[in-house]
Amino acid sequence: MADALFYVMAVAAVLAALGVVLAKNPMQCVLSLLVSFFALAVIYLLAGFQFLAAAQILVYAGAIMVLFLFVIMLLNLGSPGTEDPTDVRMFSRANATLMVVVAAAILFVLALAIRRAGPMPVENSLPEGGLDPIPGLAGEMFGRYLLPFEAISVLLLATAVAVVVLAKRDRRANEESKA
Amino acid sequence: MNVPSEHLLVLSAVLFAIGAAGFFLRRNVIVVLMCVELMLNAANLSFLAASRMHSLAAGSKSLSLEGPTFAIFVIVVAAIEAAVGLALVIALYRNRQTVSLDALTDLKD
Repeated sequence: MADALFYVMAVAAVLAALGVVLAKNPMQCVLSLLVSFFALAVIYLLAGFQFLAAAQILVYAGAIMVLFLFVIMLLNLGSPGTEDPTDVRMFSRANATLMVVVAAAILFVLALAIRRAGPMPVENSLPEGGLDPIPGLAGEMFGRYLLPFEAISVLLLATAVAVVVLAKRDRRANEESKA
Repeated sequence: MNVPSEHLLVLSAVLFAIGAAGFFLRRNVIVVLMCVELMLNAANLSFLAASRMHSLAAGSKSLSLEGPTFAIFVIVVAAIEAAVGLALVIALYRNRQTVSLDALTDLKD
C-alpha cells in the first residue's frame, strides 16, 4: 500500500515538475510547483522523515509559494488566457532539442553515480520516531553544526535587510521624475 | 515503505534534470526561479535518500542525522534565494517593465 502510494506520488511529482517547465502561464507554473511540493512532502513522510515533511509544507508550500503568487499577481502576469509573451519562442525545435539534451546528459551522469553507489538495503521497519527525530536534529544543529547554523542565521538577517532595500521604491528618483 | 533508496535517488535525479532543463529553456525570470526551487528540492530529496540508506543499513540503532540537518539548511537557502530573487524581479520590473531575460543583455553589449 505504502509502496504503491510512493510510486503514485513520484509520478505526480515528475508530472507536476514537467508542468512547471512546459506551462505557458506563470500562474499554472506556480500551481504545478505546489503540486510537486506536496507530492514530495508525502514521499518524505512515507520514507520516514516526518519533521522534514512538515517543514516542506510549511516553508515551501506556505511561504515560498505565497511569495511567488504574490509577485506574479503584483506584476499582473497571471491573468487567465494571456500567454506569457516572453515564452512564446520556447517551443521552437532548437530549444526543445537543447532541453532534451541537457536533461538527458544530467540524468546520465546522475544514473552513473547512483549505479556506483551499489546495492542498498531494503527494510520495512522504521524506528519509532521516524528517521529525523527532532531531539536528534536539534542536537546536531546546536552541536556539530553550530557554526553553519549561526552563519545561516546571519545570512537570513542580511537577506531580510537586503530585500527591504531592493524592493523599496526609490523616493528620490520618484520625486525627480515628478518634477 | 519497502521501496529501496535507489528509487528515491532516481526520482531526485529526474526532478533535478527537469529543473535544469527548465532553467535553460525558460525566458521568464520568475519561472526560472521556480526551476531553481525545483532543483533545490531534488537536492533535498537526495540528501534524505542517502540519510535513509545509511540509517536503515545501520539497523536503526544509530540514525544518520546529517541528511535531515543539511536538508533543513537547504530549505533555508531556498527561502533566501526566493526572497532575494523576487525582490530583484520587482526592482527590475519597476525600472524596465519586463520580466524577460532576453531583454536584459546590457552586460553583453
